[in-house]
Amino acid sequence: MQERTVKITNRLGLHARAAARLVRQAGQFKSAVELKREDTGQTADGKSILGVLLLAAAQGSRITIRTEGPDEERAAAALLQIVEEKFGEEAPDGLF
Amino acid sequence: MDSSNTSHSRNSKLKGLAASPGIAIGRVLRLDERGRRQFYYMEVSAQQARTEIKRLREAFAEAHARLKEIRSNLKGELGGQHEYILDAHLLMLEDKHLIAEAEREIRSRRINAEWAVRNVADRLAGAYRHIKDPYLRERSADIEDIATRLLTTLSGHTRFNMSTLDQDVVIVAETIWPSTVGELDLNHVLGFATDTGGLTSHSAIIARAVGLPAVVGLHEITKNAGTGDAIIIDGAAGEVVLRPTKPIIRTYIEKRDLDRERRVEASVRSSEPATTLDGVRITLRANVELPAEIESLALFGAEGIGLYRSEFLLLNRLPELPDEDEQYQVYRKLAEATGEHGASIRVFDLGGDKLSLDGFEEEKNPALGLRAIRLSLKAQEIFRTQVKAILRANSHGKLRIVLALISTLDELRDAKRIIEEVKRELAESGAVHDPELPLGVMIEVPAAALMADMFAREADFLSIGTNDLIQYLLAVDRANENVAHLYQPLHPAVLRTISHLVRVAEKAKAPLELCGEMAGSPIQAIALVGLGVRTLSLAPASIPLVRNAIRSIDQSRVRALLAEAVKLATTGEVEALLGRQLPRQAPQFFAALSSLG
Repeated sequence: MQERTVKITNRLGLHARAAARLVRQAGQFKSAVELKREDTGQTADGKSILGVLLLAAAQGSRITIRTEGPDEERAAAALLQIVEEKFGEEAPDGLF
Repeated sequence: MDSSNTSHSRNSKLKGLAASPGIAIGRVLRLDERGRRQFYYMEVSAQQARTEIKRLREAFAEAHARLKEIRSNLKGELGGQHEYILDAHLLMLEDKHLIAEAEREIRSRRINAEWAVRNVADRLAGAYRHIKDPYLRERSADIEDIATRLLTTLSGHTRFNMSTLDQDVVIVAETIWPSTVGELDLNHVLGFATDTGGLTSHSAIIARAVGLPAVVGLHEITKNAGTGDAIIIDGAAGEVVLRPTKPIIRTYIEKRDLDRERRVEASVRSSEPATTLDGVRITLRANVELPAEIESLALFGAEGIGLYRSEFLLLNRLPELPDEDEQYQVYRKLAEATGEHGASIRVFDLGGDKLSLDGFEEEKNPALGLRAIRLSLKAQEIFRTQVKAILRANSHGKLRIVLALISTLDELRDAKRIIEEVKRELAESGAVHDPELPLGVMIEVPAAALMADMFAREADFLSIGTNDLIQYLLAVDRANENVAHLYQPLHPAVLRTISHLVRVAEKAKAPLELCGEMAGSPIQAIALVGLGVRTLSLAPASIPLVRNAIRSIDQSRVRALLAEAVKLATTGEVEALLGRQLPRQAPQFFAALSSLG
């Protein structure tokens, strides 16, 4: 099992577009992916968009990405990267 | 939405509007609706649950494929900025938790796929509405969107088949759309009970047309009744009993059988003409919407068709329109079935509370908008096609054409010019047709009523459409239950207007007919005869009772009564006068009538 804790820094937090990217990416891996909001302890299946959206993780909240399975390391690294890169959407301080 | 929350009190009585007479005793089948698409709430067997799960999975797959297609079509058009919305929707349809929850819903609650989707979507949307972040809260709209997509996909497939029901049902819904009635297997439907709707809403008209008991305007029946609950509908009293106890059911079974006997008795005497005691002959014609009704004309003793609502040809079809030949076949059937008596075909009355035509914008105030003759004159090709089909079918009988919602003489003249042009075209092409086609103007706009003398000069006959005339005269939306009590057929203003029309038509020697729900109520029909109307057109099933009413009265006496009524100030005064005097004038008939109620 791999665990990475990261801060959501993009302005809109884990909204639809960001969540879609994250879930798409998570779906590429065989490993199970779980997201946990550190402040509330709420968890969600990282492969379920409805679950991820329901986390309602806003800018500034910290989440833990937990992966488990044959490709857990690659999965954890890739997902961490997406969050750190602000879901590839902030050009420089765009709306989305 | 959660049907397990409904109360289960026995014998709970609800009062609504008496939309269509008769008594129905059976079990509830609830219809839900979102976005004008209705679907069933059904409990299913374990076996059927497996089929429902299969339908659910197929619907997810198909909705997903369709959405993907949409996304690739829209690529570029939306700009990368917004594509993510569709992407999020796609992911929702791939969401294993969502699918699993819907499947669990079907399995554990034994309900159909439609209802499972509805329940799960409602729960999810509810969870989203609790989110503080306003942007994320908005995602509940996305959930509603995919739920609608799934429901649409499900209903496009094999719908839950009504014929698999092992018993007949009473439909309970917020409202019944004409398109839904078209999809129901009426052989399995005992009656209707709805939250909304006035006495002249389409739900009520259709129920009367197909002879099913109905109570409308019940406000909260969908909240109180669950599918499978026992229910009694008393259409004449406007009452519904939910979850009746055995003694109550027994009482109503007796009442139902008695009611049926009387109807059969009344129809047996249908060969006798509707003549008053003092020998005034009243012609009773039928209002027809569905082709199936044509066969019932003889049974009820209708003297031809006074109103064929041709827009019912479009039921479940729009935006596609029936072509000339298809229309010709239907009109020919009407012509042949009515022989010497003939049939009046009302030109498509589209718009308003009825049906709308693709390609035309939605209007804020459709009752006062582009509908009926206004639409015919704008979408002239549709009008020409219809006129052509009617003229051709006319060679098989005696048809008449009626224009609805006429408000100015110009409209009548324009329509006449077009009809003449179509006649010339047919003559030139050598097509078999009969140009002797009487043209009637429907008087339902107050302006037309005031100008009736002018219309009588240029039209072949006048036809009073009471449903709309009352609506426009009293400015009451007949389908709005908040003002339904103001929809008063016996309002002195209505009586005065009809009386005026009778005088004008007599003076101009123009034939005058009346169609509308007023003619179907025995008391109101007597009032109309008292005002001088001689031809009434009504729902076929109502003809026997109205015929008996007419045969029980003396026209000269009711004429005197109505001369008094038009001088009264309020509807209440009119009703009190008629309620006092008519039972004295026709004691036997009214004694029988009250035992029916």
